[in-house]
Amino acid sequence: MVSVVGWIDDYLWGTLVILGVYGVALVLCILWGLLGAAARLFGPRWLQPLVSLYVTVFRGTPELLILLIFYFGSAVTLTAIGQALDPDIRYLDIPPFWAGALAISFIAGAYLTEIFRAAFLGVDPGSIEAARALGLKPLPLFFLVRAPQMWRIALPGFGNQAISLIKDTALISVVGLEEIMFTAEMAISVTQEPFVMYMVVAFIYLALTTVITSVLRRLERRANRFQEVR
Amino acid sequence: MLRVTATILATVGSLLVASAAQADSLRVGTECTYAPFNYRTADGDLTGYDVDVAREVGKRIGADIEFVCQEWDGMIPALLANKFDLIVASMSITEKRLKQIDFSAPYRVSIGQFVARKDAGLALFNADGSVNPAGFEGIRVGLERSSTYEEWMKAKVPDAEIVYYDGNEPMYLDLAAGRVDAIMTNPMKAYLKFLSDEGNKDFDVVGPQIEEVEYFGIGVGVGMRQGQEDLKGQIDTALKGMTEDGTLNEFSLRYFPFPIYPQQWAGTN
Amino acid sequence: MGLNLDLILDTLPRLMSGIGITLGLLVYSLLGGLVLGSLLCMALTSKKPWLRATARCYVTFFRGTPALVQLFVIYYGLAQFPILRESPLWIVMRDPFWCCVLAFALNSGAYVAEIMRGALSGVPKELGEAARALGMRPLAIFRTITAPLALRLFLPPYGNEAVSMLKTTALASTVTLMDLTGVARTVVAQTYAPYEIFISAAIVYLALAWIIGRLITRAERWASRWQEAGVQS
Repeated sequence: MVSVVGWIDDYLWGTLVILGVYGVALVLCILWGLLGAAARLFGPRWLQPLVSLYVTVFRGTPELLILLIFYFGSAVTLTAIGQALDPDIRYLDIPPFWAGALAISFIAGAYLTEIFRAAFLGVDPGSIEAARALGLKPLPLFFLVRAPQMWRIALPGFGNQAISLIKDTALISVVGLEEIMFTAEMAISVTQEPFVMYMVVAFIYLALTTVITSVLRRLERRANRFQEVR
Repeated sequence: MLRVTATILATVGSLLVASAAQADSLRVGTECTYAPFNYRTADGDLTGYDVDVAREVGKRIGADIEFVCQEWDGMIPALLANKFDLIVASMSITEKRLKQIDFSAPYRVSIGQFVARKDAGLALFNADGSVNPAGFEGIRVGLERSSTYEEWMKAKVPDAEIVYYDGNEPMYLDLAAGRVDAIMTNPMKAYLKFLSDEGNKDFDVVGPQIEEVEYFGIGVGVGMRQGQEDLKGQIDTALKGMTEDGTLNEFSLRYFPFPIYPQQWAGTN
Repeated sequence: MGLNLDLILDTLPRLMSGIGITLGLLVYSLLGGLVLGSLLCMALTSKKPWLRATARCYVTFFRGTPALVQLFVIYYGLAQFPILRESPLWIVMRDPFWCCVLAFALNSGAYVAEIMRGALSGVPKELGEAARALGMRPLAIFRTITAPLALRLFLPPYGNEAVSMLKTTALASTVTLMDLTGVARTVVAQTYAPYEIFISAAIVYLALAWIIGRLITRAERWASRWQEAGVQS
């Protein structure tokens, strides 16, 4: 166990990388989820099959495979686009950080599409009608009446995705992101102690999921503060 | 007419640059972080096999050597942008790179070798050094997915049971744990990362170093901008001398317990 | 660029060689997860505080850490210990297939336990109390009343868990197994055609996920066969 001490700063840096990927992916997946849900609810009819396809594919395909498609595919696509614009370009690529953040954000976005859609439909129509009767304009109606209720309904499902997302970041080491799995591998090549080094990774993730869970619990309590106490 | 003049001017210009460079100093691009080939000691001095070779070449062609640290990604672009004159950075000679730059003859080999437990009693090769396919029956051989070693194995021992890895570290762990019986890899890497560790003293290389050019390429060379035939000729002559008088052998043994230079002079082409 | 459809069609048969391992991993992991999940569920609802606490720790750990990390701890980590390597257990642990099954079953067990606990707590307590008042024994109450009702609540989330386990089996390719993803990665390394190969593999996974979905739907219909009749009459 003493051997871990020398690697603490490397693990710390790796954790920061993970938090960076997580931050980017969290923002993006909320964006995809909102766009997907909006397309589902208000989009033209021709868009519906595309959104369904997106949701089905990203929920039914292994996360690792999606990540590999994004990572290796992005090189092929970007190089092709680049060469079409400028024939002198030999090779274009996006780094593992961005390929990984994009890939896992699209996965969570597929789940969030359904969660946000259900939340929109789950808002009590009576409260909307009441607000309308009070003369609220569409925008304030959305932000003051509909959005807070949607948020409350969506929170548990959103919370599950927020936790899945942090766990998905571990996969990005497979395409070469230098995060804590990578740190562990480096440490193992020196110390020959895979059990200890990977357990450190496990406990870092456990700490991260615990923090995220408690943040979510607080958010839920806040979102429900106007609910009647049962 | 204009074009002919331009060509002449360009030729004269490149000759001037080349001769100016040869006369006094050569800037050498290297990574400075790739032990034991080019790295800094605790005191901050640049050292390693590449560095030794570059210094010795400079001495023999009468040029001062000045090192420029450059990250691997930008090595060739920086050479082409004239940030330095030579690349001496463990760069393998490949078809793709030869389209952009020239290489000297190799000063380090690209080789493969098997590593296994000493007491495993594997008979992968016959006494004359040829492959013994029967020796591969019933054993599992680890190697990196889509490496040159995979191509060699598939050509030489098509029936062998191959276990694929995405990197070297997991392969060493599985070899140590006994999940694979042997691995095929670069012996320099295996020595640095695995064999030199006290905990792995039960393991060693098995059979000869395999140098077949058709699979492993011709090795690591000194890179330079294209169209500098004089400079290339001088460097090749220097490397030839270093191969034949034992200098490269001496440099190898500073870092590895075995020679890592091409033991037969591969010629200039 | 455009996709090379011929390459997709050529690749599908090659990928089939990996389906066996993917399905094997899935079936054994799910079975192991069910057994372990049942035991954990009993522990979670046990009257002994230390048993509840132990089970809670287990579930929190396995649900709070990535499956990839769990697999690496078990595959590379446990192999570090000579005691294990010299024990008869090593016959199982030496094989990457069974190592994966062990890791995935341990992971699935944590999720299954929570699903089971939720399903059991969803059965109205009054039913059990009524049955006890009628003089039924606890085991009979469980077998004839609690379990059939809980099963209906258990199946939908378990279907999600089964699909999620199918996706988790892809991690086996990181410890040298030639499952669907492992074969796909090897073919990509040879052909440099990532889109065609990985998309072919994705199609196979989607088909498998669809089949699992159908099986679960059928099981749900079977589990609620009495209810439907009741609603109609």
